[in-house]
Amino acid sequence: MDASPTHRHPVFCTVVPPHLLDRIARSRNPRFADLAQATLERDSLLRTRRRVTTVRGLAAPAPAAPAPDRPERTVYDAQHRTRLPGRKVREEGGPVSGDVTVNRAYAGLGATYELFLTAFGRRSIDGAGLPLDATVHYGEDYNNAFWDGRQMVFGDGDGELFLDFTVSVDVIGHELAHGVTQYTANLEYHGQSGALNESVSDVFGSLIKQYALDQTADRADWLIGAGLLGPAVDRGQALRSMKAPGTAYEDDELGKDPQPATMDDYVDTVRDNGGVHINSGIPNHAFYIVASELGGKAWERAGQIWYDALTGGELATDADFRDFARVTAAAAVARYGEGGAEHQALQKAWSAVGLG
Amino acid sequence: MRISVVRTGGFAGIERRGEVDTSGRPDEDEWRALALRALRPGPPCDPADPAGGVRDGFSYTVTVDGRTVSFRDPHLSDAQRALVSRVLKEGA
Repeated sequence: MDASPTHRHPVFCTVVPPHLLDRIARSRNPRFADLAQATLERDSLLRTRRRVTTVRGLAAPAPAAPAPDRPERTVYDAQHRTRLPGRKVREEGGPVSGDVTVNRAYAGLGATYELFLTAFGRRSIDGAGLPLDATVHYGEDYNNAFWDGRQMVFGDGDGELFLDFTVSVDVIGHELAHGVTQYTANLEYHGQSGALNESVSDVFGSLIKQYALDQTADRADWLIGAGLLGPAVDRGQALRSMKAPGTAYEDDELGKDPQPATMDDYVDTVRDNGGVHINSGIPNHAFYIVASELGGKAWERAGQIWYDALTGGELATDADFRDFARVTAAAAVARYGEGGAEHQALQKAWSAVGLG
Repeated sequence: MRISVVRTGGFAGIERRGEVDTSGRPDEDEWRALALRALRPGPPCDPADPAGGVRDGFSYTVTVDGRTVSFRDPHLSDAQRALVSRVLKEGA
């Protein structure tokens, strides 16, 4: 935390996990302590609201105005600047754009909406028809895509290390799934709950690709971000592999894929919010094993179990991997019965990654 | 003036670092002005959700002659964005 005189306010927009805010709230500097306390109260109020929304959503499935069974998409163009959302360039039912990136984003939002609706009966991100907004052409040579709490944002990549972030439909699905998590289990974005948040996005991102291609689990590539790496990357096929975490790339420019597949190789780090994009390899791999054990279309049973765990209200916002293993196993039992093929696949998967 | 940038997080989760020593460079004054502007606070984040809403955003730590500031996407000033992209490009 920087407290130099040039800062009139502490930098609370930076990555400040709640446990750190807790510490700052007890700070002897009353200015920091008050601000941290206010942030914590706002945060917890928001979480309570989301929980209430989730629980109400389960208790009262028929809202006053039922959401239609179609998405309400809008794609914006940031025109290489960073102001959001940017200029509106395509809206639901409107004419096709002359810009392939705009059309890819639009199609990706549609594919994501369709999987959640047809496989899980969920209407959009919030389950109540929330409009889906995406901004493309964000920034200059911007090597990233993110969810800002309200919408998806996609960079074009620098054309060397990374290409346009809309090229992989699983990346689009990944960002939208962050929205679904935000409205449901709302897993805190640091440490193991953060890695679960990331993993859930990879799982649904991959399922959206598999659904769009109508693939069975044994035919899927189980890669996240295939086709995204640019010509300067010599050795790499994607950003992450759920089938074989740690093997997606090994390259002079990017380094080596740091993902572990099992708890034996769990990475303790403070970087990247405590390794949320690293240790997500462990629950990712567990999902792959479940889907492979069960065979067929991965979204039908394995995906349903993950969806039930995410939305069932049993997962705490600070859940760790063991909590998630327990809740998914319980979800498998609740839906498919004790000792059934699904329950056994769950036990085998969590045991294989060191969480049995 | 020594300027270093560490960028973490992002969809890929790949860390990037860059460092530039501006001493004696013909464009030293320009670097210095940019770095000093980048040390000032960026635009405020959403007051309703200051730390939470963004997923897969980049986080940046910038150190200018021993003074360190941190910020995260998308809450960067133009100077912060210009500085981090220049240092990561030229000082990688």
